Amino acid sequence: MEGGIIANNAIDGLVLDKPHTFRVHTKAYTDREVFEAEMGRIFEKTWIYVGHTSEIPNRYDYKTSYIGLQPVIVTRGDGDVINVFVNRCMHRGAVLCREAHGNAQQFDCPYHGWVYTNDGKLVAVTHKDEVGGYSADFDQPKGLFKVPKVEVYRGFVFASFNDAVQPLLQHLGRARTIIDRRLNQSPEGEIVLRSQPFVARYKGNWKFQTENIVDDYHFLFVHRAFVDLQSKYGDTTGNFGLHPGGNTAEMRKQRYRGNVWGTPQGHGILDAQLGTLEPLLTGRFAEHYKVLKDKYGEDELAWIAGRGIISMFPNMGMIHQQIRTWRPIAPDLTEVTIYPYALKGAPDAYNEGVLHAQERFYSPAGYGATDDMEMFAINHEGLSGRAVDWVLLERGVDTDTVLESGDVQGKPSSEACMRGFWRRWRQLMSEA
Amino acid sequence: MPSMTRAEAEDFLYREAQILDDRLFDDWLPLFTKDGLYWIPIDETKPRDQSVSIIYDPPLRREERVHHLMRTRFPSQSPPSRTVHLISNVTVGAGVEAGNILIRSNQVIYETRVGDFRQTGLGELRTIVTRMEHVLRAEDGALRIALKKVTLIDRDLSVGILAFII
Ligand code: FES
Ligand SMILES: [Fe+2]
Repeated sequence: MEGGIIANNAIDGLVLDKPHTFRVHTKAYTDREVFEAEMGRIFEKTWIYVGHTSEIPNRYDYKTSYIGLQPVIVTRGDGDVINVFVNRCMHRGAVLCREAHGNAQQFDCPYHGWVYTNDGKLVAVTHKDEVGGYSADFDQPKGLFKVPKVEVYRGFVFASFNDAVQPLLQHLGRARTIIDRRLNQSPEGEIVLRSQPFVARYKGNWKFQTENIVDDYHFLFVHRAFVDLQSKYGDTTGNFGLHPGGNTAEMRKQRYRGNVWGTPQGHGILDAQLGTLEPLLTGRFAEHYKVLKDKYGEDELAWIAGRGIISMFPNMGMIHQQIRTWRPIAPDLTEVTIYPYALKGAPDAYNEGVLHAQERFYSPAGYGATDDMEMFAINHEGLSGRAVDWVLLERGVDTDTVLESGDVQGKPSSEACMRGFWRRWRQLMSEA
Repeated sequence: MPSMTRAEAEDFLYREAQILDDRLFDDWLPLFTKDGLYWIPIDETKPRDQSVSIIYDPPLRREERVHHLMRTRFPSQSPPSRTVHLISNVTVGAGVEAGNILIRSNQVIYETRVGDFRQTGLGELRTIVTRMEHVLRAEDGALRIALKKVTLIDRDLSVGILAFII
């Protein structure tokens, strides 16, 4: 599983990181060999988010997911143990489970009927003793291939093929604080994934989504028409305060404030405290916010109710009230899945308002995500102009500050998030 | 008690389709009743307050959608979609509420956006396959759409960008 044949020195040349300059080579997005190498050196080496425990709330629930190109099943077994298996029958390799989710104490292979328990044990080889069947000393597989590392953080299930992967908390780093704050918006500190997700594919490289979810710079250009809708309709059509600022100047101010982070683990983060809590503590959901204020204090509540957006290395993100994953399929094909979630214990009207505001912006017929998807495709197509070598990611490179933790703090509107991603990308890609 | 023959129902749907295919979206709005809803569910069995739809447009949202299409510019409709609606399997029945009419139809929509086919998303011909329900009600002297519900056969898969009106 080393992934790909591309040489390390070839990788090194793909990221140009020197004073005043930060550039990434076109091939890092378009090249087939780079893509193959990424599957082994990134997706099979680091932690990958595969699902949330609220998607499999009961014993023997399962959902199917992916680690890079590899299909996996995530199951909840006896004693609430969460396991992750490669979704491939050990006989001749058919996909074992074809449903997105469900409940099953055992999985029967559709091809020749081998039977596995929910915790991966092979318990029946069909027609075993038939003439022409298996010999007495048949080296029978014990069960499904179990992904060796699985850890759950506050309901987020991460898995890794790498036995020696760093502990999950170390991998989360600064992103953990943002996850905590997002979840602490719930008085119970828990979220529930219960809505249907939005699923969309774009004809472009997966890293465009990694970069874009924490890119404040594009908003007023790609989403100009949305800004226009906001100035005309405000909150009357269901924005529910999701995108604050009713005009271009105000939206620009709202975007370009707070912190921009690129972390050593490769995460990109945007965070900012809310300027004033007054409107929340006197508004429609005052009771809800008062509970949070008593629990966490005003300063922390200003973080919890403020901004917190993560691009989690390599292919998961959190923004507004959703978990988003983007799955590489080919160098130029990616599937994005948006899972809106509800805050456990928050007022129903609050959860409903945020849910539908996200529908308005992120649906395949919405006023936001459609244009992002279009841009990713245009971006990939533009890179076919390979006479130009470099993609420029050095906006604000001279105003970055490196903290003791290794986190790089950039200025609003900079591309510090992307630089964090690409530094980690180069590091892992060079470790074959 | 309003009633409608199949021929009249077909005429009604043809007129709507022509408005949409001609991109005269401002003329589409008054086809609806004052409280009319344009709905494209993903899973209609899930409670509305717990699960998202692809589109759920009460009157002001419909107006906003038309404003967006007619009077702003945005990447996913630059260039804009060209569409052709093909309508078949039309049946007419009674709506759930007294006095309502329910028209069911199957509609296949072809969609393309002009441009060099090598540019992703442009120059391809897409097929959008749907079952539709139009619930009509008499209002201001005409039968108008109280509900247009579009069920895409691939609604829970990746449906692609649907930045136009189906
Ligand atoms: S491939 Fe599964 S039983 Fe043969
Ligand atoms: Fe965007």
